Amino acid sequence: MSERVRNGAFVAAMAVMAVALTLLVSTRPADVDRVEEIGSRIKCPVCQGESIANSPSPMAEDMMDLVSDRVAAGVSDQDIVDELLGSYTGAVLLDPPASGTTLVLWLAPMAALVLGVAVILWWQRHPGAGSEQAPLPVERSRTRLVIGGVILLFAFAGIVVVASNSLQDRPTAAAGAAALDGQDLSEVSNETMEAVVAANADDPQVNGMRLALAERYFDTGDYRSAFPHYLVVAEDPDATTAEAITALVRLGWMAFDGNGEVETATRLIDEALAIDPRSTVALYVRARVRWCGAGEVDEAIATFESLLADPGLDRETKTRIESDIELARDGGECP
Amino acid sequence: MTGRVLRWTGLGVVAATVVLAVVLASRFGSDPGLVDSPLLGQPAPAFDLPGLDGTEGVALSQLRGDVVVVNFFASWCPECREEHDDLVATSESFADRDVTFVQIGYQEDAAESLAYLDEAGRSAATIYLADPGSRTAIAYGVFGIPETFFIDPQGEVVGKIIGEANALILGATIDAIIAGERPGQQITGDTQQAPDT
Repeated sequence: MSERVRNGAFVAAMAVMAVALTLLVSTRPADVDRVEEIGSRIKCPVCQGESIANSPSPMAEDMMDLVSDRVAAGVSDQDIVDELLGSYTGAVLLDPPASGTTLVLWLAPMAALVLGVAVILWWQRHPGAGSEQAPLPVERSRTRLVIGGVILLFAFAGIVVVASNSLQDRPTAAAGAAALDGQDLSEVSNETMEAVVAANADDPQVNGMRLALAERYFDTGDYRSAFPHYLVVAEDPDATTAEAITALVRLGWMAFDGNGEVETATRLIDEALAIDPRSTVALYVRARVRWCGAGEVDEAIATFESLLADPGLDRETKTRIESDIELARDGGECP
Repeated sequence: MTGRVLRWTGLGVVAATVVLAVVLASRFGSDPGLVDSPLLGQPAPAFDLPGLDGTEGVALSQLRGDVVVVNFFASWCPECREEHDDLVATSESFADRDVTFVQIGYQEDAAESLAYLDEAGRSAATIYLADPGSRTAIAYGVFGIPETFFIDPQGEVVGKIIGEANALILGATIDAIIAGERPGQQITGDTQQAPDT
């Protein structure tokens, strides 16, 4: 068969395929296609990595019904996607947006392609390049160079896949609790600690970090940020005694200091005292709340004095309690 | 010359890989269900839903001027059961302060939600609604339940709790909204995506 005949046959085959493809596309119901196409781009929010078009979950079906209704109403694809983005953020898109930091995910394959082609072209123009030995015969050299270029492309694609898989399988959140074990928490930012405790919410071992983070917020008067962390620790049946007491006492103080809720504060601190009736911090804060919130001065003085009898009291706490006793006896206002 | 070009090519591949790894790390490190709701600071999505018992329901527009607490729940969700008593108590304690609680059934038949409320008890001050086709849950971007949204008297979403709430956190959040603050999003625990999870 001559080269002309072979080329003619190739062109004819391509033409037949093009016509068949056109017919196939034009005869499929457009609206159904649109619903499926949009659904295939939307991630099912209650599934793992499935589109709403492929997920059997009732929530995905409801979302597909919504997409179908919008398509039938003549809403554009982009407006439908935007509607869901307005509720769920970009997290609802299966493909990352081709903008911002995720733009590189779209550009990387093209960059790899350009790089690979450039390498192949360059090597074709410089047969034998990279070899210290005498140049190989041209045909053999070209074959090796093309193979080398293909290997380069596949290597890059492989690195991309390996990187994405390994990062996806990580313990999450920039570091698990274990990754921060032994690290001085004072060097860790609030944002990192938030990420770690969120990623290890079910692990009681993260309570220490959660409390440290809550204490930072508490010390700066940011009760709103501290509150949920103390709450989680206080309600965690696996929290240690010390952790639970700290959390309950802090919650009690915030209820009083932040919202003026004396009885709620007292109840929370009493829960801490039920765990350890001799807890110095619980006794002290309870006395302060009752003194400042309910005017129970005498009871507060009695509690403070009993605390001073503890020989293990540190100097700073002792000084503070002595100051409180003096103030209470003088009839001064609660500090 | 040849060695230099090869070295630069290798360096280019390594640099591109590092950039890609950084981008992937930044994306895979976060749980999409825990990102800040895009609704915060936006007008609350409107709804006009029937009552769970088939009676006339309510439209959000009818509640304009109140602080509205919108909670999505289901009988199959353990965290919802845990927070139920606190929702009832808080709804009643704020009933005379222009605060309205709305609980919307999520991904179950209204009859099942009603049977659950019969068993767990309900607040006379709370409006219990059905959500046919999950349209309202989708409009609020619900990833799992319980999720609770707080809408200020002007109709803007100013707070969200992901996970189990309790009387203390509900009360503090409502107090803050009444004081004109915007509490934002708080994560208190796990949520359930579907009955079998």
